[in-house]
This record gives sequence, structure tokens and C-alpha cells, in this order.
Amino acid sequence: MRVVVCIKQVPDTTNVRINPKTNTLMREGVESIVNPFDEYALEEALRLKDAHGARVTVISMGPPQATAVLREALARGADDAFLVSSRAFGGADTLATSYTLSQAIKKACGGKTPDLVLFGKQAIDGDTAQVGPGVSEFLDVPLVTYVKKLEVADGRFTVESLMDDGTAVIEGALPAVMTVVKEASTPRFASLAGWMDAVKAPVTVLDEKAVEANPLWIGLTGSPTKVVTIFPPPTKGGGEKVDARGDASAGARAISDFLAKKGLVKHG
Amino acid sequence: MIETDVLIVGAGPAGLATAIALLRNAGEKKPRVVVLDKGRSVGSHVLSGAIVDPSGFEGLLTPEEIEKLPCEAKVVKESFRSLFTAKWDMKIPWVPPMMSSKGFPVVSLTKVTAYLAQIASKLGAEIYTGFAVTQLVEENGSVVGARTGEKGLDKNGRKKSNYLPSEEVRAKVVVLAEGGCGILTERLIAEKGLQGTRPQTYALGIKELIEVPAGTQTAGEVMHTFGWPSDFNTYGGGFVYHVSETQVMVGYAYGLDYKRAEIDPFRLFRRFKSAPNVHRHIKGGKTVAYGAKVIPEGGFYAVPKPHAPGVLIVGDGAGLLDSLRIKGVHIAMQSGRAAAEAILANFTGQDARCPSGDALGEDYFKRLQATNGWKEMQRVRNVRASFSFGMPWGVMAAGLAWMTFGKIPWFRVPGCDEGDAAALEPLVRERLAREAADDVEASPMQPDRLTDVFMSGTIHEEDQPCHLKIKDPAACAACEKEFGSPCTRFCPAEVYLREGDHLQIDFSNCLHCKTCRIKCPKGNIDWTFPQGGDGPRYTRM
Repeated sequence: MRVVVCIKQVPDTTNVRINPKTNTLMREGVESIVNPFDEYALEEALRLKDAHGARVTVISMGPPQATAVLREALARGADDAFLVSSRAFGGADTLATSYTLSQAIKKACGGKTPDLVLFGKQAIDGDTAQVGPGVSEFLDVPLVTYVKKLEVADGRFTVESLMDDGTAVIEGALPAVMTVVKEASTPRFASLAGWMDAVKAPVTVLDEKAVEANPLWIGLTGSPTKVVTIFPPPTKGGGEKVDARGDASAGARAISDFLAKKGLVKHG
Repeated sequence: MIETDVLIVGAGPAGLATAIALLRNAGEKKPRVVVLDKGRSVGSHVLSGAIVDPSGFEGLLTPEEIEKLPCEAKVVKESFRSLFTAKWDMKIPWVPPMMSSKGFPVVSLTKVTAYLAQIASKLGAEIYTGFAVTQLVEENGSVVGARTGEKGLDKNGRKKSNYLPSEEVRAKVVVLAEGGCGILTERLIAEKGLQGTRPQTYALGIKELIEVPAGTQTAGEVMHTFGWPSDFNTYGGGFVYHVSETQVMVGYAYGLDYKRAEIDPFRLFRRFKSAPNVHRHIKGGKTVAYGAKVIPEGGFYAVPKPHAPGVLIVGDGAGLLDSLRIKGVHIAMQSGRAAAEAILANFTGQDARCPSGDALGEDYFKRLQATNGWKEMQRVRNVRASFSFGMPWGVMAAGLAWMTFGKIPWFRVPGCDEGDAAALEPLVRERLAREAADDVEASPMQPDRLTDVFMSGTIHEEDQPCHLKIKDPAACAACEKEFGSPCTRFCPAEVYLREGDHLQIDFSNCLHCKTCRIKCPKGNIDWTFPQGGDGPRYTRM
């Protein structure tokens, strides 16, 4: 079984601030990390490796620095790594990225579609959740999103998908593309020995020629959407504080009055 | 099992200088050099003022590399102030020549460390972060390697689904470069009886990075202060470094041999920032980063024997610091070079063995003693102890030592002989109330302690065994009666809270400064290692 995990290097947004004048991210002192949701996708793949001996390939699209997240995946147990990187890919929106990645996935798997392609449910920088679904379209294989449990047997999969109001159990035939949520598992740590191997392991770089991309479908040219402006949302006011220390019922009364005034509850 | 030639524990300036010097001077047959650090990234746990004495870089880095050091500014204007009260202070009319740092680089040591790591990596050092080294491995009285800490234990010590076992790294020589109050180092010093003439004495350094409005300050202007809000019997002093037109590093260091149990160094730091002559440097500012670390201030007489069979101690862990200028980065790096030279002189070729006994260690110590840093320490060897008699004595001793090249006083001034914890006197409760009442108003440059802790970026997996172990709960109860639980005050991260009879430990706030291990009057706190990768995430400290 061949499993591909697509991972992205993102700024650690827990630390990011926005420059109020230019509306751009202030990157100083902000670390680059593996998109946290992708770690859950990788863990699912590594569990398939543990259980079924699957071969796990990791792919990342980004600048040369993104090699760092690929090495981290290798250290945790991935078998091989590809970096999809070229100036020609710059400025790609989610459509162009999906196309480019789908070409890279096929290339990495010797021209074939792998049994399973896993993504995190979304990246924490763009938050679009579109690239996983986009790749499933380009590869023309079924898509299951928000996967929290994954089992594979005899070329078929059974997954639990997290819905707003419950869990959907979905069965189907491989190949498939899935996006994974954090409820799936706790990602494993990379061992020191794993790291020592990973820093020496090769990372294959794929450019637009290597992935045999149609030049009109990649980069800025292949991107029908454009970012017009970026701005931080207006700062919210402080809200009202009800200090109920010492008198809980007065506090409860104040809250219920507030809700009644808004017409959200009726006093009985 | 992993095998390497040299294992360096700690990727700070001392450890990385060791790695760079080893690989740069090794010639054809380069040794395998593995560096492990418990921080998430290189520099995550590194904090310093810092105005660095550039002599540490000379001879270690190439001129081109020194040129490219991530230097924030160069010192252009320097002043010293003695603070007597909040409003009453005195500018020292001239900068004492031994204290002058004009032209020195003002740096974020976090960034400099990351830069040194790049150089070391290019030379072939293997640097792995997120791995705490929790144990030395010994055979026949000689250190032969070390073990990394386990990961993925739950709060009761049971294995979770992501459990990662400890890994053993065998090395021909282990270099401990853990920094001030390194845990493995302290254990080794105790077990092998390596302690110097007197125990180490520390200061707790607390630091913030404050952003100020453009056009109000000058990059490269620096101010050092001593005195208030510390009393005259405690070694305390602050600094204000303008690293750019809009960024100021502000810090306060407080001698942990302080006596008064009601003292809260974090509050002293806040008061320090409110003094008019400090405040004008940070007017309209907003704190954006925070950190704390202990500084080994004991100086020459507190340096342990920095070696045992199979293991060398470099940098702050060995107390290598000029306690007059409170500068140790350059000596740390010189000690790293000395260690590297000794290793290269004693190992030849790849199948070399560690010389039997402690010949390597003795050679290292000899080379260390030949460094300028060591001579500097010798010159000011009595300064810190003299300060324990009060500020005026300290200042006089500092002047005398400098003028006479350390010849006067010719004897060892006693002081700081009992260790920091023993200096604490029983709590006077009336003073505690006064200390708690006297506080500074909150503002963007005076955040409360927990807001500051947030800005240190510290983070620990919550579901893991608490790494701060209380040896005997009964001792805590006794301490509460006698000293009023000083851990609830001296911790700069609000880890310890008293709730009725119970001491609550919020270990996830921990900044890894080790103050609790040093200052607990009952010696009741055992600082063990949390999961590797946890702890502060300094990026600009």
C-alpha cells in the first residue's frame, strides 16, 4: 500500500501579529512549523505503516526552507520525501496548488495514483480547507473530509468523519483522498535515532518540468483568485463583566436581564 | 544505541563554541560531534542582557563571520547610575574604565546562538533540539555517554499512545554546556565532590523587551544601574539597552543570597521600571517579550573543578563569569575552545580512546586557566563576596581589585560561603504586608506576572509528570510557618501558589530558571526535566 501525506510549512500563528500600517504579517521572531493538522494526517499514515507495512511518502510544496518539515516527517518514520519547489509555482492559489500537488503526487508514485492521499483538515495560515478536496478532483478519486478514525482492509476503507452534529461512518473503495482532524490521534514524537537518519536522507526536489505541469495551470497564471487586500478584523470591545463574587443570584439576575433585554430569553 | 565521538549537552554559546572549535581545528579526520538541547529550537532557552564582550568570538569565528553576527546595535552612549530610592539617584560622573563597553555589540543572545548553530552545522556538527539529556551514563567511574529523557508519559507516569523511550548516546567524551545551575552538572559536582572553594551563588535575572514609540530613543544608548529597589545589603542592579530606535531591553538582576523572605524579585523589577530615570527610557512602551534566568555570580572561588573522567564542564554551568561586569558569554566561549583544544590534543584519529584517568580533564583545566577570561575572573575574584557585606564595600573592593590587578585584597574575602538558600532569614510578617501593598500600576509596559509569562512563550505538555518534585510535603508546611513559602514570591513565573494547606504547582508556567531549586530554604524542590522541547520559547531574548 502506498500512502502520500501532503504537509505544509506554516508560520506559528499563535505568535503572529499584524502590522497595523501595512496589514502584513510581522514575521520577526515567528517560527515556522509543520501545519499542526498535517501532523494528525502523518500519524494516520504511520499507523497504516505500523499495521500494514504501508510505504509513506511525504510531499510539501513551498520554498527550499520547507525541507525542514519534510525532514521532521522523515524523522517520525516517513519513508521518502519530495519538495515541490520552483519560482514558477509562486503566487499559486488553492486551485493552482491543488493541480500542482496532484501532478507531484503522481510523479512521486511512479505515474500512478497512490492508494491513499492524506491531508490535514486545513492549514492554520490560510484556513481554506480547499487543497485536499482540490487534489481529489484532479486525481479523480473519492474524497472524505474531517476523518477522525481510519481503518483499511482488502482495498477498502472504513472511516469515521466528524460532522457538526455527530459522526458519519463511511465505507468505500481505495484509492481515496482524506482530510484528517485532530480528534484522530496524538502524533508520535520523532526519536533521536530517527532524526539522525532523517538529516541524511535524500529529499527529492520536483520543479514544474519534473511534475510535467501545464504552464498555464500553475503559479500566478494558473490562479483565478487574487488576494485584493488583507486586513485584521476590527478589535472587539471589551464586553460587559458581571462580578458575581459574593452574590451569585444577583449575578445570575444581571445576566438574565441582559439576555431578556436583547430579546434572547423571556422572563417567566 | 547511538555512538559519537563527542556529545555536547546544551546548544548555548559554550556548547556551540566547543563544537565549532572542534570541527574547525580537527584537520582531515573530523570527529562526530552531536549537540543536544532541551529547547524546542536552538536559542529557545537562551537569555542574556546582552552586551557581549567580542573577545569570545575572536579566533573562533572568521572575520567575515564576526562581521555578520546578528548585532542589534553597538554601544554608543553608556552611563552608570546608583539608585538610592525611586526618585533619588546619582549618575556616576564617569564610566569606570573596567566597566566600559563602548563599541561592544548589543545583541539578542537567542539570535546569536541560532547564528552560531548555523556555523556549527555547516562545519558538520549535528544539532538536535527538543531532547533533554536527563542522565549521564557511567562505567567504572568514567562517564561514557548520556541518556535522553522519555516522552509521552501521562501525569501519573503511565505511558501514553505516543510514548517515546529514553535513548542512549555513547561518546568518547561528554561536554556539559548546560548553562547556569545545569541539573546534570550540579549532580555531577555533588557526586564527584567537584565543588570549588565556596558554593556557587546566583542572581535571578528578569528581562523584558519593550517596544517604544519611534523617535523617542536612540539605538545603542545603554544604562546600567545598581542599588534600588534592592536594599543595600543585596547585590542588585538593572540595565536598559536601546537595541534599536523602537526596542529596549530592560532587565534587573537580584542576588539570590538575599535575606528577607518577603522579597519578590519580580516586584522589584516592576518597581525598577517605574523609577523616573528608568521610566523615561521606556515611556509609552509596551512589553512584547519576557524571560528569566539565573546568573552564576560567585566568580573565581565558586568555580568547580570543571572535569571528571570522561566529562568536561564549560560555560555558565562551571560558573565561568566575570562577576564585576556580569559578563560570561565570552568566557563561556573561551572555555568551549579550551575544551575543544584539549579534546583534539588527546584524541588522534577516529579510533582514539579517551585517555585513561582524568588526563584530558586536567589538560582542559590547564588550557582554561590560560584564557583571558579566566585571568579576568581571577582579577575580580573578591568582588562578589565583598558585596555581601553591603554595597559600599562591594564598590570599594571592585575598584581596588581592578586598580591592583586583583592583588588587593590578596586573601580570599569570606562571604557567600553558605550558599544562597541558607542566607534566607525567617519571615517578618508585617514586612510581607508592606511588600505586598507597595506595587506598581498595570500598564502596557508593566504587565502582571502571568501576562509576562505568556510573552515568554513557555509551554509544557500538561499531561505529563510534574517536573518540580516536592521531596517532603512536611518540609513545605514547616517552611510556610517559618518563611511564609518564599517560592510563591521568588518564582518569576508564578509556578507556586499556596492554597490553604496545599502548595499548588503550575509547572507549565516554568521558565527553567532554577531559582526554586537554588533558593528553597528547605532544599525541598527537586528540579527534574520536563519533556524535551517544552519550556520557554525565547526568540528575541
